[in-house]
Amino acid sequence: MRVGLRLWSAVALLAVVGAVAAGCGGGGGSKSSSTAAQGGAKGGSINVAIVDNPQMKDIAKLTPSLFTKQTGTKVNYTILDEGTLRQVTTRDVAAGGRQFDVAMIGPYEAPQFGKSGNLVDLTPMAQSDSAYQLGDIIPPVRNALSADGKMYAAPFYGESSFLMYRKDVLDKAGIKIPLHPTWDQVAAAARKVNTPQMAGICLRGKPGWGDLGASFTTVLNTFGGTWWSAKPDGSVDKAQVNTPAFRNALQFYANLIHDAGEKDAANSSFNECLTQYKDGKVAMWYDATVAAGLLEASDSAVKGKNGYAFAPVKETKAAGWLWTWALAIPKTSSKQDLAWNYIAWATGPQYLKEAGTRIAGGWAALPPGTRKSTYEIPQYKKAAAAFAGPTLSAIAAAPINNPGTTKRPGLPGVQYVGIPQFQDVGNQCTQQFSAVIAGRTSVDSALNNCQDVASQASS
Amino acid sequence: MDAAAGTAEASERKPRRFPSPPRLSEAWRRRLPLLPALLIMIVLTQVPFVMSIYYSLTDWHVVPPGPRKFVGLDNYSHLFSDHFFRSAVWVSVQLTVIPVIGALVLGTAFALLLDRKFIGRGFVRTLLITPFLLMPVVVGLIWKNQMFNDLYGVINWVVEKLGGTPVDFVARHPTMAIAVTLIWQWTPFMMLIMLAGLQSQPADVLEAAKVDGATPWGIFRQLTLTHLRPYMELGILLGTIYLIQVYDLVAVMTGGGPGSTNVPYFVFQKSIGGGWEFGQASAYSIVVVVFSIIIATVSLRVLSRLLKGEEAA
Repeated sequence: MRVGLRLWSAVALLAVVGAVAAGCGGGGGSKSSSTAAQGGAKGGSINVAIVDNPQMKDIAKLTPSLFTKQTGTKVNYTILDEGTLRQVTTRDVAAGGRQFDVAMIGPYEAPQFGKSGNLVDLTPMAQSDSAYQLGDIIPPVRNALSADGKMYAAPFYGESSFLMYRKDVLDKAGIKIPLHPTWDQVAAAARKVNTPQMAGICLRGKPGWGDLGASFTTVLNTFGGTWWSAKPDGSVDKAQVNTPAFRNALQFYANLIHDAGEKDAANSSFNECLTQYKDGKVAMWYDATVAAGLLEASDSAVKGKNGYAFAPVKETKAAGWLWTWALAIPKTSSKQDLAWNYIAWATGPQYLKEAGTRIAGGWAALPPGTRKSTYEIPQYKKAAAAFAGPTLSAIAAAPINNPGTTKRPGLPGVQYVGIPQFQDVGNQCTQQFSAVIAGRTSVDSALNNCQDVASQASS
Repeated sequence: MDAAAGTAEASERKPRRFPSPPRLSEAWRRRLPLLPALLIMIVLTQVPFVMSIYYSLTDWHVVPPGPRKFVGLDNYSHLFSDHFFRSAVWVSVQLTVIPVIGALVLGTAFALLLDRKFIGRGFVRTLLITPFLLMPVVVGLIWKNQMFNDLYGVINWVVEKLGGTPVDFVARHPTMAIAVTLIWQWTPFMMLIMLAGLQSQPADVLEAAKVDGATPWGIFRQLTLTHLRPYMELGILLGTIYLIQVYDLVAVMTGGGPGSTNVPYFVFQKSIGGGWEFGQASAYSIVVVVFSIIIATVSLRVLSRLLKGEEAA
């Protein structure tokens, strides 16, 4: 009797184990059959990771009515902040995570991942698709996303950096910002207009190489500093964080924020500064050109009150960065046809025309800086009159190949160094710099720590 | 530990066995059906750990992709010379010790109040437990944005009303900001443990003390506190095990940086958080596991002593 019971319980146990194993097998089986069914270019669904900036939220909102309705392809968005998106896409694309069919990346990632064979070359698909008009894409933006002539990501919007300021506020203080200002002029103006109610300037202070790191590195470049020196063959040589030029740049940046910067600076990046500027809490803002479309949007409280000037300089002629948020297909995606259909729609000329009347910000808030034809749409020309010109000339002026006073290691880049180690070094160092901005550590200790990090990466 | 428990069970079972001991083959035939379960358990619990140990002995960069090289104990020797790791350990110590002690003191105080009978006690108890039921990420966001923020935070609103200047708590004092949030979240946990301790206190002893003319403070110090000691030990040890692994609050509230990067966040940064050095990150996490096992072993001893004590009583 006892043995019988034991036997039965053993049988039950085996049955459970068997069921679990079968469940696993079943799951795998159904997955593979569904991917086979979605081999065609219609229907199905794709997973897309994008960054949480306003223009991307707009397209996510419009996708069901403008894309899914036409093609039957469902788009599952994962919308993340910049830092998290980078972790996710790097894990997915570079380490073969297979989570996404389309990932949003930029000029830092696209050539690196493309060269290492992790991304699908989009050039053949873009060339054979006449509606896509590949030649319409603004050349510096396309080049930034290419390696050896192959385009690895299609630009959703393109940007440089420039200075935005409240004309009304500065006029009242009797300050005139020149079209090509220097950092000394901007800092003096910011300190002059700074009041407890309205800060002089909003500068990024949030840790992250693409946040504080981007703004700061353009300042560093034009102050004559650099992260690493380069060997003659273009590889990384020695860390340059403990040099006087680097120190001057950080000191200048942190002092300006202490004296005339925004509140909560150590937590502020693009979106936080955008909110503060729109709320009238800052008088000037040095950031991405793409912000101008949101400041001049029909739902903006500061519409028509703004002036735009080139990125401030010190020792170089131009200091603006070059960036584009672009869509790429990881090689691991099993739905590359569907993914391309989506990218062709999202970054193609048709979306720009359709979105103008449908998004809350109106024509001015279109994703800018990717296609020449955008700047020929009559409604856009009218809505973006204040900033369309400055945006295009800032993109053209961005010193992508020669951003500073010395030779840079790695692939071209202004606000970043085009080597894989920069992501980690930039993140760790900007945490140190952010602590300086918060008033928690000294410039010296931050620079010493950062020099250690940068040296480790180059050894 | 498992093995020890197994032999203890076996020795208990011995007298109940058949008069003639079964042959070896029969013993194995009986065990056979259990082996798949054992195998699955080993695969699920131990293989990832063994893999991590192996990874910790390699130099493995994912970005840029490179071959995995065996480097022996290099990652471990590097670990103790890395001052970033040392400062992460120091932050971990602060983020464990301060919240555990803070939550224990507050939890004991609330437990003493809840041990008295009053109208609406159940309601108050539920309210006090609520912080523990919230997701850590939500807790982090609430405290970062609604409490500590210098533009629209509640605390700074009060500070301003009182005539002070607002302080950006999270940016200026990240360690304390996270510690306070942890205290808020873990006080109910300690309170529940201490309440259980208080309610298991024999009423007759307390009554006898009262009859003998002991003061309330004397009763608390001499009787209640002594009675609560094992419960406090348990609370401290369980709290330490949980709090040593805090990652979510750091990620949500500060995103790392000096003064808030603790060991779990440091491991994250070294691996998928941008460093992509899985070999080094594995070494760091192995060290954390070793420390956690030490603490867990001590706490299990305490737990078993507590249970034995209850059985005896």
